[in-house]
Amino acid sequence: MDLLTVKNVSKQYVGHKALDDVSLAIPRGSVYGLLGPNGAGKTTLIRIINRITAPDSGQVFFGDRELSPDDVYRIGYLPEERGLYKKMKVGEQALFFARLKGLSRREAIARLKTWFIKFGIQDWWNKKVEELSKGMAQKVQFIVTVLHKPELLIFDEPFSGFDPINANLLKEEILALRDQGATVVFSTHNMASVEEICDHITLIDKSHNILSGNVDEIRRRYGANVFEVAYRGDEEALHKAVGERCEWIDGSQSESVYRTVKLHVRSDADVRAVIAAANEAVELRSFHEIIPSMNDIFIRAVSGTL
Amino acid sequence: MSNTFIIIRREFNERVRKKSFIITTLLMPVLMIALMAAPALIMEYSGGEEKRIAVIDESGLIASQLQSDDELIFEPTDLSVDAARKELTDHYAVLCIGSGVFADPSDVKFYVNSSSSIAVEGNIANQIGHIIETEKLKQYDIDNLQQILDEVKTSVSMQTFRNDKSQEGDTEAHSSIAATALGYVLGFILYAFLLIYGSMVMQSVIEEKNSRVLEVMVSSVRPFQLMMGKILGIASVAVVQIVIWGVLIVGVGAAVLPRLMPDYLAAGVEAMQAGAPQAAEMAAASDFDPEMMQAVASITDAGYVTMIFACLLLFVLGGYLLYSAMFAAVGSAVDSIQDAAQLQTPIMVPIILALLMMLAVIKDPDSQVAFWFSMIPLTSPIVMIARIPYDIPLWEIALSLVLLYASFIGMVWVAAKIYRVGIFMYGKKPTIKELWKWVRYPF
Repeated sequence: MDLLTVKNVSKQYVGHKALDDVSLAIPRGSVYGLLGPNGAGKTTLIRIINRITAPDSGQVFFGDRELSPDDVYRIGYLPEERGLYKKMKVGEQALFFARLKGLSRREAIARLKTWFIKFGIQDWWNKKVEELSKGMAQKVQFIVTVLHKPELLIFDEPFSGFDPINANLLKEEILALRDQGATVVFSTHNMASVEEICDHITLIDKSHNILSGNVDEIRRRYGANVFEVAYRGDEEALHKAVGERCEWIDGSQSESVYRTVKLHVRSDADVRAVIAAANEAVELRSFHEIIPSMNDIFIRAVSGTL
Repeated sequence: MSNTFIIIRREFNERVRKKSFIITTLLMPVLMIALMAAPALIMEYSGGEEKRIAVIDESGLIASQLQSDDELIFEPTDLSVDAARKELTDHYAVLCIGSGVFADPSDVKFYVNSSSSIAVEGNIANQIGHIIETEKLKQYDIDNLQQILDEVKTSVSMQTFRNDKSQEGDTEAHSSIAATALGYVLGFILYAFLLIYGSMVMQSVIEEKNSRVLEVMVSSVRPFQLMMGKILGIASVAVVQIVIWGVLIVGVGAAVLPRLMPDYLAAGVEAMQAGAPQAAEMAAASDFDPEMMQAVASITDAGYVTMIFACLLLFVLGGYLLYSAMFAAVGSAVDSIQDAAQLQTPIMVPIILALLMMLAVIKDPDSQVAFWFSMIPLTSPIVMIARIPYDIPLWEIALSLVLLYASFIGMVWVAAKIYRVGIFMYGKKPTIKELWKWVRYPF
């Protein structure tokens, strides 16, 4: 069941098209990554979902209804450029946002306490925001975004500005929120985080959706039957044995007694038969599929060599 | 609790807790009184330095009668004009009175060694004029002439009463001197409030836009609630400030002033406030200018002051609401205060027009021009508040208020549309034409 569906959304700004006929579906309870190079239209799409701007054409559905103004109350949004009142104290400010999101004062304080302890920032309650560093302010902002437990969480570049330790902390919290039932959408350039926490992704480039789907599936799909073979024996013999069913990608390389080679197994060929033939011809050390990293897929997709 | 209220409370707390707010609120009345008293005090004490003036009197009659005082010291001298001008440079000036001064009063020359001043020149010209007058009168050789002249001299001062308001007794008589002064003061207060608090709204919107706080809040609050929360939050600060000032001023006016006044004046004022017929006689008996007494009676009359104060509050609030909605719209459309200047024009023009009209209207508060400018919503707050001390008909005040608040609602509707679009637009500075396009956006 999809929580949020975007259908054929287009948005034109003066001089350029930010989104061109983009469709995607975000499954309930998943972590959904919005990828794409700078200026691809990710933030525009997020702003449309948040009803900050309206699309020129196309629709957005929340559940099975069209997105209505009141649905924004069910969304927690962490914008790319963080915004907090600089002159206000951290605790007071967090409380202000929590109250705006409909929490009672007592409930808000209780939840804030828990989160502040979780992030180790209890001492900041009475500090002014302008005294905080960028990463510190970001923690506060994250807490404010998730505090009212919205069904849909949207993070625009949540990891920018965090050191690796805090980025990990954030990843864990995002996964924990998903496990508690929230649906999380985030945009990022950080491909490692995509592999680690995303269930699904959409890759937007030049205002088009060029790739959508489950992360594992996509990686397998773009794995494209490439295998790495390590063996001991005669290169010619191996070539003869599997040659008709495979394409030789990289020439054979020798490392000590073993040689490795990359093979592209033709789609009509049976991998088990290829392994069997290779095993006959040479002494096989290993035979495994190469699954491309999201980074590779991203670069190949964007540069158009997919 | 509604979100608008949460925002109002934040805006209010943020501002009222600032030290600058507390200081201005308490010091402003003191500062205003000091500003009014300062010129008088400076005049009083600035005489200090003495000025020696050498007098060459060719007529022979005037020099001996010139009166020296603390500031001006006249020293007759026998030097020639040229010699005196060359040698007496340590004197403040050389005064040269020609021999034909009785026939031709312009035959007086004043050579100053530093810059001259109107006060000194006036003093000397007055003295010489007076001496010549006296000398001329002496030639008529009439006994007791000075006494006769004193008796003939007359100065008229009137007490004004509103005949259309109450024909029995002399109640409701408010001095037009007090009304004019009050009108000016009120008009300027309103002008200052509209500008200061209006641009406070604008600045705060720009700041919020730049800090991107709005994007965080958009998922919990409607932009309209944000705008109204800000406008009303700052309005509540203004109201608190006016009420504090009002209490301070009314308190001082009602409690301190009567005690400072001489007893006979206080009694006369009291009688006048009570509408007693003997007030005028008491004024006459105490040889105190009855017009002045009426002015004092007006501004210390608690009922009158309260009425004006209530009107001030209503018009400040209405005018502020109307203008701040416009200021908020402009603030939302730009990225910095510098960019706002051009878009502010449609706001500044009516404010300045209203101020100019106020200055004209105050001389003739019942004219057609005065009436219409105190009805048109953009100018009405400033113009109307200046007319109110003149006891204008209540229905005019009521109609003006209704128009003002109705146009506020219309303006908020338009401003909210601009705000809704502008607040999330970055970069390009829009033109007024584009703002109008935003109003018709389908949100």
